[in-house]
Amino acid sequence: MGESALPAKDLHPEGHEEHHSAVAYVVVWIALLGFTALTYITGTAHLGKWALTIALAIAVAKSTLVALIFMHLKDSSGMTRLVFVCALVFMALLLFFSVADVATRFRLATPAGAPFGTERAPPEGLLEHELPAEE
Amino acid sequence: MSPESASTYPGVPEEVVGHHFSSLERQTEAMRLGMWLFLATEVLLFAGLFCGYTVYRFEFPLAFEQSSRHLNITLGTLNTVVLITSSFTVAMAIHYTRTNQRKMAAVCLVITILFALLFLGFKAIEYAEHFREHALPGKYYASAEVRIPGAAMFYTLYFLMTGLHGLHVIAGMSVLGFVLWRTLQGRYSSNYYMGVELGGLYWHLVDLVWIFLYPLLYLI
Repeated sequence: MGESALPAKDLHPEGHEEHHSAVAYVVVWIALLGFTALTYITGTAHLGKWALTIALAIAVAKSTLVALIFMHLKDSSGMTRLVFVCALVFMALLLFFSVADVATRFRLATPAGAPFGTERAPPEGLLEHELPAEE
Repeated sequence: MSPESASTYPGVPEEVVGHHFSSLERQTEAMRLGMWLFLATEVLLFAGLFCGYTVYRFEFPLAFEQSSRHLNITLGTLNTVVLITSSFTVAMAIHYTRTNQRKMAAVCLVITILFALLFLGFKAIEYAEHFREHALPGKYYASAEVRIPGAAMFYTLYFLMTGLHGLHVIAGMSVLGFVLWRTLQGRYSSNYYMGVELGGLYWHLVDLVWIFLYPLLYLI
C-alpha cells in the first residue's frame, strides 16, 4: 500500500479519500432505476400534451443525479463545472432558437416548396420523398 | 508542494507525473478539466442531432408518434436499465480503486464491459427487426406499418442518434478495457486513479445521452 507514508492532504485537498463511501452511489443507482420505471409508466400511458414535459423533467432529474454524484461534479472545482454548464447553455441556445424559428413560421413567410411550415396535404399514402417535386 | 516532489509520490508510477506540472495535484486537476472540455464537445455533437430531432418532431408530430410506437419498448427499457447499472458499476470501480481494493475494481470493470456488450446485443436485435420491416432511413424507408410523411425522417434520426450513441458505447467499452488492463497491472491506487476516473467519466456521458434518447425515441 504505502500511502500512509504520504500526508493525505498533499494529494487530496478535499480529504475525503479515507472515509470515501459508496452509499451515495447505491442510493443514486436505486433512484435512477425508480425514475426509469416512472418514465416508462408515464411514457406508455400517453398523457397527451404533458407527456413530453414529464418525460424531459424525469430525464433532467436522472442526468442531474448522474452528473453530480457518478461524475463527481458535486465535488469538482468551479472551473470544471463551468465547462459543463457552458456546453449546456450553448445547447439551450441552439434548441431555443431552432424551436423559435419553426414555431413561428406561417404560410406567407414561407416560400413555395419550403420543407417547413406550409401545412402540406400530401396525396393519400405517399411518403414525402415520393411527392411530386413542387416548383 | 515543492516541484521536485512530483516524481516521488508513493504508489504513483513515476512516468505518469509530467515534468511540466508543479505537483501531481495540479496534473490531476488539469486532466479532469481536459476531460470535461472533451465531454462538453461531445454534448455539443449530440446537441446537433437533438436539434434536428426537435425540428422534425415539431414538423411531423403524428409520424413521430406512430413510428415510435413500432419500436421495441421492452428492449429499449432493458437497455436503459443495463446502461444505468453499468454506470453504477463503473462508479463502484472508481470507489474500489480509491480504497485500494484492486480486485473488486477489476470485477466492477469486467461487469461494466459485459453490460456494454449486452447493450450492443439488444441494439443489434432491434436493428435486425428494423431491417426486416424495411423501417430504414430516408429513401430506403419502405415499412408497411406507418405510411405518412415524416416516418422516414423519424427513422433517419433514430438511426443517426442510436448509431452515433452505439459508436460511443463501443469506444467507451474499449477505453474501459484498457483501464481494466491497467488495473490488473496494478497501475492505479488511492493515490492515483485518473485512468479509472476519466474512463468512467466517458462512460457516464454515454449513459447521459441514452437517458435522453430513451424517452425521446421510445416513449412518444
